[in-house]
Amino acid sequence: MTAVLRLAALSAWSRRLTLGLSLIAIALAVTLLLAVERIRGDARQNFAQSVSGVDLVVGARGGSVQLMLYAVFHAGAASNNISWDSYRAIATHPAVDWALPLSLGDSHRGFAVLGTVPEYFQRFRHGDGEALRFREGRAFGGVFEVVLGSEVVQRLGYRLGDSITLSHGMSELGPAHGDKPFRVVGILAATGTPVDRTLHVGLEAISALHLDWVGGAPLPGVNIPSELVTKFDLKPKEITAALVGLKQRGDVFRMQRFVNQYRGEPLLGVMPGVALDELWQTIGIVERSLLAVSALVVLVGLAGLAATLLAGLNERRRELAILRALGAGPGEIFLMLTAEGLLVTILGALLGLLLLGAGSGLAAPWLLERFGVVLATRLPGNEELALIGAVILTGLVASLVPGWRAWRRSLADGLTPRL
Amino acid sequence: MRIALIYACLALLALPAQAQHAHGEGRMDIAIDRERLAISLELPLDAAVGFERAPKTEKEKAALAAAQQAVADPTLFMPTPAAACKPEAPKVVLPESGKAGGEQHADIEASHVFRCANPAALKSVETTIFKSFKRLYRLEARRAGPGGQGAARLTPKHPVIAW
Repeated sequence: MTAVLRLAALSAWSRRLTLGLSLIAIALAVTLLLAVERIRGDARQNFAQSVSGVDLVVGARGGSVQLMLYAVFHAGAASNNISWDSYRAIATHPAVDWALPLSLGDSHRGFAVLGTVPEYFQRFRHGDGEALRFREGRAFGGVFEVVLGSEVVQRLGYRLGDSITLSHGMSELGPAHGDKPFRVVGILAATGTPVDRTLHVGLEAISALHLDWVGGAPLPGVNIPSELVTKFDLKPKEITAALVGLKQRGDVFRMQRFVNQYRGEPLLGVMPGVALDELWQTIGIVERSLLAVSALVVLVGLAGLAATLLAGLNERRRELAILRALGAGPGEIFLMLTAEGLLVTILGALLGLLLLGAGSGLAAPWLLERFGVVLATRLPGNEELALIGAVILTGLVASLVPGWRAWRRSLADGLTPRL
Repeated sequence: MRIALIYACLALLALPAQAQHAHGEGRMDIAIDRERLAISLELPLDAAVGFERAPKTEKEKAALAAAQQAVADPTLFMPTPAAACKPEAPKVVLPESGKAGGEQHADIEASHVFRCANPAALKSVETTIFKSFKRLYRLEARRAGPGGQGAARLTPKHPVIAW
């Protein structure tokens, strides 16, 4: 048995070029398959982690996905704001444990600026109910103080005490709020959620920035310097959205009804966990098609391997016949050929796994930046192992074909000289 | 910019903000608070009895009574056995007869409450509703509790929401 396997390995090594190409094809196919599975799983997990602690997201009436995207992921724009009075009515509802106002719309070099209250840092929960932690510094207290997410710091290299200015709107080329610089007073630890890509300021700061603005542009000739803004009423009149946490999480259906039927103005309450599940239900078919396509690619790779082995049989008539003449039975020849195919499949799967590891390491920053998906470099999970198992099993089946062909060849076949 | 594009694509798949009354589709909300499991069910009258107005004939009256009994069945919903949940008396609200005048949609509403001795083991709810109501082909389920929120689409082939 071991002798047969050793022979199989040595024989395969002597044909390393053709088998190597098959191996690379299988490795790439496995990488593709696993990458699709991993991105799929990680994207879901990320999204779920970002909203895990929030029971209800409240905003102006519109699409629920749109509301989720700008309130939680700070992407896109709000169609409308909600009034401070509505926010207070919700925040003081007896079922509500905490409510965090969010004011979005400004940015700093492509990163979203979030206007909120200092309690945000105590109340906000992500992942498995983890709170936000300060890596350095503290929450904002004064009007022109800002707390940075970890990725903002990593990308732009700011430190505590640095002075930065914000721009109006989400475009880097938007009009600047250059007259009112902010001081960095805190830096948050990494969370793997959109918080990392956000600059946090007080709601008063958002009001102060827009004191001398009307209709989205600075009022010409009016410039209120930073020192004087506190003389004005900085109480926010409206906010973009609110995150709500309830005393009892099961009360959310009742609370959602309260929000959706609120009489003051048309509001929309979205249950983030439900909205995400519904979103996955909708795009599930796309995911499954992607997975099916990559599974097909793996099949193509394995078919290529079977074809290579079958084609090799003709070249190896002599070799196999000599082995038979030396006493190898048809069963051993079968075992040898099958083992060769299986070996290449297993090596291909392992190489694919390595490629995935290297590739996800390289692609992770890009994915995070472009799509906000945190791709973890980690050992394969159960589903990935199951996929690899399926690939190896299919590879075994594919290798049975050349094994069977060799088994059927007669002893004399390779020894008869062909003229 | 590109991220905005991706999200815009996602937003195009926008879901109905609040699922509306649709024939053949029921809705169920599962709320878990400590040992209390509350399930509220909305069933379109059409899916339950095949008509959407006050019953006119004896046969229709019997159908409505049978539907009422079926949604009040304490075994309509089966929480994870390990959670040891005991049902309390279910409440059923029938649509007000005569008021709808045959023009509006009507739902049968039912609420089932359970007390669970071991709520930590509560990981799923299965329903037998599709056996009683052949015209019902889908149940949109939402859940909220200490373990977070979620949604699932229950069908006769897969009548379970698990988390």
